[in-house]
Amino acid sequence: MEKKIRVMLSKVGTDTHDRGVKIIARALRDAGLEVIYIGLYQTTEQLVQAAVQEDVDFVGVSSLNGGHMTIFPDLVEGLKKAGRGDIHVLAGGVIPQHEALELKQRGVADVFRAGTNTGDVVNFIKAHAH
Amino acid sequence: MSTNAQIKEAMQAWESKYAADFSNERKKEFVTESGIPLKRFYTPLDLEAKGFDFLKDVGFPGDYPMTANITATGYRGKLWEPTQYSGRALPEESNQLWKKMVEAGTNTVYMAYDLPTQLGYDPDHPRAEGEVGRVGFSACSLRDWEIAFDGLDLNKLGLYQVLNGPYLFGLACHMAIAEQQGVSREKLVGIGQNDILKEHIARNLYIFPPRQGLRLVTDSFEFVAKNLPLYYPITVSGVHISASGATPVHDATVMLSNAFSYLQAAVDRGVDIDAVGPHMMFVPCFDHYSFYEEIAKLRACRRIYASVLRERFKAKNPESWKARWYTPQEGSSLHKEQYLNNIVRTSIYVMGAALAGSQTADTRAYDEHFGIPTDEAIIQGLRAQHIVARETGITDVVDPFAGSYFMESLTKEMEERVLEGLAEADKRGGGLACIESGYFRKIIAKDAYQHQRKIERAEFERVGVNIFRSPEKEDKPTKVYRTDPAVERKRIESVQELRRKRDNAKVAKCLKEIKGLAASPESSQNNLFPAVFEAVKAYATIGEICEELRSTWGEFQAPSALT
Repeated sequence: MEKKIRVMLSKVGTDTHDRGVKIIARALRDAGLEVIYIGLYQTTEQLVQAAVQEDVDFVGVSSLNGGHMTIFPDLVEGLKKAGRGDIHVLAGGVIPQHEALELKQRGVADVFRAGTNTGDVVNFIKAHAH
Repeated sequence: MSTNAQIKEAMQAWESKYAADFSNERKKEFVTESGIPLKRFYTPLDLEAKGFDFLKDVGFPGDYPMTANITATGYRGKLWEPTQYSGRALPEESNQLWKKMVEAGTNTVYMAYDLPTQLGYDPDHPRAEGEVGRVGFSACSLRDWEIAFDGLDLNKLGLYQVLNGPYLFGLACHMAIAEQQGVSREKLVGIGQNDILKEHIARNLYIFPPRQGLRLVTDSFEFVAKNLPLYYPITVSGVHISASGATPVHDATVMLSNAFSYLQAAVDRGVDIDAVGPHMMFVPCFDHYSFYEEIAKLRACRRIYASVLRERFKAKNPESWKARWYTPQEGSSLHKEQYLNNIVRTSIYVMGAALAGSQTADTRAYDEHFGIPTDEAIIQGLRAQHIVARETGITDVVDPFAGSYFMESLTKEMEERVLEGLAEADKRGGGLACIESGYFRKIIAKDAYQHQRKIERAEFERVGVNIFRSPEKEDKPTKVYRTDPAVERKRIESVQELRRKRDNAKVAKCLKEIKGLAASPESSQNNLFPAVFEAVKAYATIGEICEELRSTWGEFQAPSALT
């Protein structure tokens, strides 16, 4: 039996708008992926710990507050340090185009900016899961 | 004069004549955002079908059931108050911006705080790191207020504070500055957001568990009712409910449900409904893209609210029957693509808010998707309000849609659906139970998902987003506001200096008093506000005051269940 793709989703810090991340969660679930949404007010440390513990394939954060240039590099670094650099980091939210490119250079697997179709996120995950 | 029978006959002839055109319209079905079907044309027959009665359902402006307006003269008597949500990290920067805006034409300072302030943390709290001053005014003490309001005359200016969990702190600061400026309590004009229930449903900037959050709200109601005749200690939100995905029917249902929960809590404590009723205000949602429905929604809500206050709560004072709208534009109704289009969206929103009879309005700025607004963008929003108010003539007639076959039918339809939603909430144990069980969150999340699918299928059309898109290059404003990261250090130094210079024995005494009251059962005798007021005047900080409450009541931990 094929192992289900496991995706962890989260919000980090005081950025509490969760409409988008919940929509993504539902879309991924409807597409047959296993989704763990760990909720609001997480630190990147807590998120790394949770992702490793749950042995997920992808971890995604919706960032709407402008904290993305700290959150995502910290997440990539944290997972590497924990020996799980293989977990793909996905970024979403309000991220300027040039910073999205920079984040990808710094190890984020892909950036799904506000306005992305949920189908695109599903397709990316399915294409990159091993 | 034509009878309904004659109209019916004529209509049937018309339908036969144009049957081919009718089957050739742009869409198979025309529905509102809430899914209410819209006919192509409305007639007296529709009012008859709905059982419409002019005197019962509309009446006259200023009188029960308030459908048309809460005042007899509407904008002929007084234009709505134009305001713009604004704040900058440092007190002196906020001061400069607010002075600029008063000069540009507003009499209300609509205060945007940073997230640490909204969550009751001082700038040097670990959880404040990276967030100090980033999205608004970093205000942790009365000292900050003294700087921010230097040269701003509270005799002439109203304040609206977007503060929820720590609201008592903000109310205390306002009153303390007013005292310093010699403004009497009878003249003090202020509004507080202070809608903690919507934080637990949608916005998520809660601090304490819901019951304690509600206790603080009731404390503020009690105090304001006795001391501040021109004050509104709450604006019950529909806009945040909508922003997290709710349809107009649902954002109205949850908004009214929460209002009734607040009023019931006050009444349960023994506060007279007519002491509180005149001090209620709302921040309802008005989205430009559901134009007619939103107008009908606000008319229906005025009628429902008046009815519940008079019939269920037995309010006798007509001022208690009035749903006051402080209508804000929702940021999620604007888009980053072709961002100048947002100026048009804002103008349409203002027109709608005016046609719906708002008492106060505020817009989002065209650079909404790029950062907190620049000064220019904020003032542009104010100008949109001035143009609609002064150039269009919309303000010359009270409730111009009154009696419209379409608008009265749609208002009735909205009323029916909202009443149904409220009845369902009652069946499930009432508004508070629906919050605790996650029922409201579930409805909203479902609406959000459906909305997203409709956007993705272009069933909901958005110019520049899913239709009339630009080539791949993204345009963005030449000027975007970014908070200087150095402000965090400045704010930390400032609060640490304050703590060195003030009378710390006095502060400690005040904080101990707060803690004692918080540990005591909720009651009028244990109202926290007077103690918070003393603490604020002694220069206790927002973080210190909230820490007394946090350590006594605990912090709210939301279940991370995916609803």
